[in-house]
Amino acid sequence: MSKGAQGMVVKTPRDPQDVGYLWPAVFAIAVHLLIVLFSLVQWPDSSAEPDSSSIVQATLVSTEAFTDQAQQANAESAAMSAADESEPESAAESPTPSEDEAAEEQAAREAAEAEEQAQALEAARAEAEAQAERRQEEAEAEAERQRDAEEQRRQEEAEAEAEREREAEEQRRQEEAEAEAEREREAEEQRRQEEAEAEAEREREAEEQRRQEEAEAEAEREREAEEQRRQEEAEAEAEREREAEEQRRQEEAEAEAEREREAEEQRRQEEAEAAMQRQLEGEAQAAAEAQQAEQAANSFLTIVKRAVEQAWIIPPEASDSMSATLQVRLGPSGEVLATSVVSSSGDGNFDRSAMQAIEHAAPFGELRDLPSEQQRNLRQFNLRFTPGDVR
Amino acid sequence: MNDNAMSIPHLIMNASIVVQLVMLLLVVGSVLSWIVIFQRGIALRRAQKEYAQFEETFWSGVDLNELYRDIPADDPRHGAEHIFQAGFREFNRLMPKTRNTPTILEGVQRSMRVAWSREEDRLTQHLVFLATVASASPYIGLFGTVWGIMGSFQSLSMTQQATLATVAPWIAEALIATAMGLFAAIPAVIFYNRLSNSASRLLGKYEDFAEEFHAILHRNLQGRDSASS
Repeated sequence: MSKGAQGMVVKTPRDPQDVGYLWPAVFAIAVHLLIVLFSLVQWPDSSAEPDSSSIVQATLVSTEAFTDQAQQANAESAAMSAADESEPESAAESPTPSEDEAAEEQAAREAAEAEEQAQALEAARAEAEAQAERRQEEAEAEAERQRDAEEQRRQEEAEAEAEREREAEEQRRQEEAEAEAEREREAEEQRRQEEAEAEAEREREAEEQRRQEEAEAEAEREREAEEQRRQEEAEAEAEREREAEEQRRQEEAEAEAEREREAEEQRRQEEAEAAMQRQLEGEAQAAAEAQQAEQAANSFLTIVKRAVEQAWIIPPEASDSMSATLQVRLGPSGEVLATSVVSSSGDGNFDRSAMQAIEHAAPFGELRDLPSEQQRNLRQFNLRFTPGDVR
Repeated sequence: MNDNAMSIPHLIMNASIVVQLVMLLLVVGSVLSWIVIFQRGIALRRAQKEYAQFEETFWSGVDLNELYRDIPADDPRHGAEHIFQAGFREFNRLMPKTRNTPTILEGVQRSMRVAWSREEDRLTQHLVFLATVASASPYIGLFGTVWGIMGSFQSLSMTQQATLATVAPWIAEALIATAMGLFAAIPAVIFYNRLSNSASRLLGKYEDFAEEFHAILHRNLQGRDSASS
């Protein structure tokens, strides 16, 4: 180090050319740290400058509900792809703002969708409940009707029964009256006979015989009447028994009918429940199918959007705040049948450039890959063109 | 926004393992090459300064025996001093043994050549490492880039829509590897050329000095020969 100044006379024993590695290492690391710091400081400066470059962005808005969802599902990738068409120096910083906004938008849309779905579910459940209620009411009405009919039948039967009983009573009474009359007549006869006895003492002998004969006849008659009465009583008894039997049978039949009705009721109710279950299942399946269809629609609309984005040559005078919405009608094989301006940007060049972008991007042959009912849905959709990062 | 997704530290942290290893290797190479640059630069500058001082002393008309005696025997010298010491020691040792002038001069020359060769070895040490970093680090960085772009294409095959946005981060981080390779290689190349040039110039001066010293000894011997005869 300072040996030269001291001359050749006094020399330190240390090797002057042996520098060691500590200081070089410190210097080298300092150099690298400086470079790293320089790169860190430099970058935000350079990124702040080119904010005037616009982001090209085509967004899809359709009249159909799921078209909206298509955009939402691909909002993030759309935001990413938006950077494609921005100038190279701004490619680095462009995607972030639209990404944020896209994320927000997506979140909002998801929430809306979830709400919609929940509402749909709610509606389906309400409908199912209403249907079940209606069916139950019908079943109740049916039961009511049946019960009424049963009631009526029973009443009629009871009336008929009463009629029969009344008739039987009538008959018995008549018979009794007859028997009474007979008895009275017999008593009259006897009294007359006694009178006749007193009157015709003298004819007693002959009379005796006759009386005996009469008595015999009387006895005979009495026996016969007795016989008849007994027979009638037996008949009445039998009638009563028969009636009781009838009634029991009827009651049994009624009970049987009641049981059957109840079983019927239960079966019907079960059927109604099963039907409701089936309906709910069908609804779930329909929802799943709708979701699938939605996904297919999403992918198709994403393809369309990308194609249109890449074909779009933005006029140089277009400002970021401009926005045009165009309606596109597709043919069955994906060719563009017609494009019409739904809402103009106010600049004819801008609208024309958007229309030309659609024409250049056509045909969208991917439409044929979709199921037919979705093809019908996707034949017509709206495209919104907005350059710039304001969305 | 920018310092999130596309800033250099973010890209480095998000790179794949292989690319990160390549970057680490390049950073280490760069640091080591800068250590060598500083160490050699300082050493060569000191050697040049020392040579200038020694040359000045040597040609100031000082007695060579005195000059030689000033150098302690157990303290090895470097540079021109080393050559002078080796040559003069050999001269002093041979002088009493032989009167044959060519033999003495030959011995002195040989010992000075040995000393010069040692000096050359000492001055150019580590410069080979600098040359290695200069030539290899672009290739290492290129390897990292190729690997990163392979990864970017693999990721491109995963996505249904091939956009620049899907490959841009991959390519950017892959290109960082090349940038670091060049960053290590460029100073290494420049300073290798510069340092090896100054080392060879210094060695040329040593050689010149050895020749001049040899000439002085030769003149002295001739004078003594003519004086004795």
